[in-house]
Amino acid sequence: MSRDATGRRIVVDGRPVAAHPGDSVALAILRAGEVPGRGGTLCLAGDCGNCLAIVDGVAYVRTCQVQARPGTVVERHPVQGNPALPVVDVANPVAAPLGSNVAVERRRAEVVIVGGGDSGRRAAADRPDALVLDAGEGNEVVAVYPGPTVVARTPAGMLHVEAERIVVATGAAEIQPVCPGNDLHGILTPRAAERLRAAGVALSEPVITVGPELVRLEGDEAGRVRAVVTRDPSAGERMIEARTVIVALGLAPRDLLARMAAPGTSVTAVGAAGEEHPLPPAPADRTAVVCRCMGVSVGDLDDAWSKGFTELELLKRATLAGIGTCQGGACLPHVRSWIAARTGETPDPFTARPASRQITLAEAAADTTVDAFRRTPLHEEHLTLGARMDRFGGWWRPWHYGDAVGEYWAVREGVSIGDVSTLGKLVVSGPDVVEALERIYPCHVADIKVGRSRYALLLNERGHVMDDGMILRESETRFVLSFTSGGAANAEMWLRDWIDTWGLRVHVMDRTMSLAAINVTGPLAGELLGRLGLPEPPRFLGHIHAAIAGVDCHVMRLSFTGEAAFELHHPIDRSVALWRALMDAGRDLGIRPHGLQALFGLRLEKGHVIVGMDTELDTTPRRLGMDWATRMDKPRFIGKAALERTAKLPDERRWVGFSMDGPAPVEGTPIFDADGREIIGNVTGSWHSPLLGKALMLGWQRRPQHPDRVRIDGREAVVTATPFYDPEGHRARA
Amino acid sequence: MLVLERVRGIRVVADAAAVDGARWTGDDVLVLRFAPDEAFAIGATAIEIDDPHAIVEDEAGFMAGPVDLDEVVVHIEWSLPTERPALAQGSIAGVPAKVWLTDDSATLIVHAAYAADLRERLR
Repeated sequence: MSRDATGRRIVVDGRPVAAHPGDSVALAILRAGEVPGRGGTLCLAGDCGNCLAIVDGVAYVRTCQVQARPGTVVERHPVQGNPALPVVDVANPVAAPLGSNVAVERRRAEVVIVGGGDSGRRAAADRPDALVLDAGEGNEVVAVYPGPTVVARTPAGMLHVEAERIVVATGAAEIQPVCPGNDLHGILTPRAAERLRAAGVALSEPVITVGPELVRLEGDEAGRVRAVVTRDPSAGERMIEARTVIVALGLAPRDLLARMAAPGTSVTAVGAAGEEHPLPPAPADRTAVVCRCMGVSVGDLDDAWSKGFTELELLKRATLAGIGTCQGGACLPHVRSWIAARTGETPDPFTARPASRQITLAEAAADTTVDAFRRTPLHEEHLTLGARMDRFGGWWRPWHYGDAVGEYWAVREGVSIGDVSTLGKLVVSGPDVVEALERIYPCHVADIKVGRSRYALLLNERGHVMDDGMILRESETRFVLSFTSGGAANAEMWLRDWIDTWGLRVHVMDRTMSLAAINVTGPLAGELLGRLGLPEPPRFLGHIHAAIAGVDCHVMRLSFTGEAAFELHHPIDRSVALWRALMDAGRDLGIRPHGLQALFGLRLEKGHVIVGMDTELDTTPRRLGMDWATRMDKPRFIGKAALERTAKLPDERRWVGFSMDGPAPVEGTPIFDADGREIIGNVTGSWHSPLLGKALMLGWQRRPQHPDRVRIDGREAVVTATPFYDPEGHRARA
Repeated sequence: MLVLERVRGIRVVADAAAVDGARWTGDDVLVLRFAPDEAFAIGATAIEIDDPHAIVEDEAGFMAGPVDLDEVVVHIEWSLPTERPALAQGSIAGVPAKVWLTDDSATLIVHAAYAADLRERLR
């Protein structure tokens, strides 16, 4: 627990450890007479994975490459197994994880020189305009991608450099021993020993230096080397007492980054990184571990070879030697030597792939352009109301507001509002619009009266369900179409493509992100709307344009919840005002917002399908029990021919309801036959109904037996007709 | 810091020739041609258009703001048009967006639903 003269200390496994200025974390730990990792030869040059630890919350950090700064918190990896994954904040799974805000700087450079040693300086002298990235200065290049693009980890974050030419001047690494006992503490490479001595760290005596004559290392009960066994040409094996063993086996080019470059890329390895070096003797002892990162022994190489994996790349894939922490930095020379001893030919090194160093997911993902998730105009309103937000269908949506069951009851017995702005919304207009929609949808369209609407499936040519939504007629030649949140973009492309293909005169405008929508639902929904200026709301499946609380709305009478429901589609810049007006006017009615969790439960009780969640890629209306949504008397619609053909085939599975006592199983739970022996399906939706007091599920069940009783989550469940709730639909129409 | 403000106007989808000939009413109307058959006229309050089936809607779903083109270019993996003025459309930092380019300015235009995400990515 001493301090150096400057008083700086780091924390190792909860105990303060003194660190001298300039010490790496590994050096400070060694200076304290302890070991930084699980054992094995220390290079102190970042070439191996033998000094890994958790540093400031990040696992798999090479402690020899990290400066020991006051307060640095180090936790050594467990002796067995891997360090635990960071725990996600379960209360808020969308919160930014540790270290996620990694800055990225993008630059362009004609020449990038990787390495600031002798060869790097020589290369830089020839090209004074070159960008030099030196790990010694904290600019650690971790990857070379096609382009080529150099990715480096810097003290400020990540650096992405588009380069014309890359010079790899990373020098050479010291070869590590492969022999029994190479996992002991107290083994050093010559350079590591030099570094320790230069730093004033005394090596435990006696210190023995060995070379290729090394046979094995003997250890004590604490896992530290106590003797070295060498092969003496005259006297056979010889054992020498040692507490520190310095193993000098020569060098191997540190050319990982050069091998990472795509063929034809202008990447050159110079200096020691570009030179061929003698390989070490081929390891022979089957028990010796050749790849410590992945725990691959010489015996494993033997076994894989005997199974026909007789090339370096195949051997790597079969045994995983070389894919671990050091990316072959330690094992590659030995594996090449081992193959050369068998075949008489030395194979080229295997291909290297990013990243050459362990980087965090945040560093890897920094500034990448992952799919953007949209926010509705009510996003902040949800947060203010305590919503737990989640990503769904390409949008941020409230999962619940702290009490999903309370939200459920508000819908079933009072009034509730939900943000459904995410629904797809298209306006279609033109002289051929009815013809186009009749061809696209499997239901009749021409007979939808102005001011009325109809539920519709959207099928592809194979008769598989792509999406669903509503068709609302506004005039003889103008309709509004709605789609699921996640399927809207695809549905729009689908419509445009077919309309163009057919050459029909139909205009299409996507209003998905221009209009917001609030679903007002519950037995008191009509009363609430009456208070805000809509005394006579439309009847079921009707729609009108009306002002609600002074906001122009397209009011659609639908129901996904099983209760009376009105979707208020309106301009997004009026959404907050409308939401607040509804909340204020409904206060004495017990109004509360509902999130997706309650909505999914409500719809499940009604047996409504959610396309994409309940459906599979080959789901037909018949399998969903929704033949009623396809009108085969129509002359044509997309998917009709396939439905006619497949109607003659056996029905292999169906989507049905199940119920059972006890808690609801997680979605995706397998469904077994009554004997519990064979999996015959899976649960796609699951909810413990507060009203019915049991677990309700929707899921797939394989034919032919269609048993009435199945086993789910180890319990007996009964196939149950849907809707589970209000099968006559009286409440939705009330 | 990217500052985006809501822009209002009229959006129309109609026959391309009709959009070409549309007559807009409003102060400082800026017509952005999203597609041959689609335009968004920022600042427009009315339109006359020779297509009885044209879809004409008040539009408040976009945000817009001035931007330093050099700062945006590093987030674009496609080529900007060289002529001016021009409307460039595509993914910017992974977000669907548009840039209105003139000789001396660049204006970023994005659906309001994406605005927060884009602002964070261009920080």
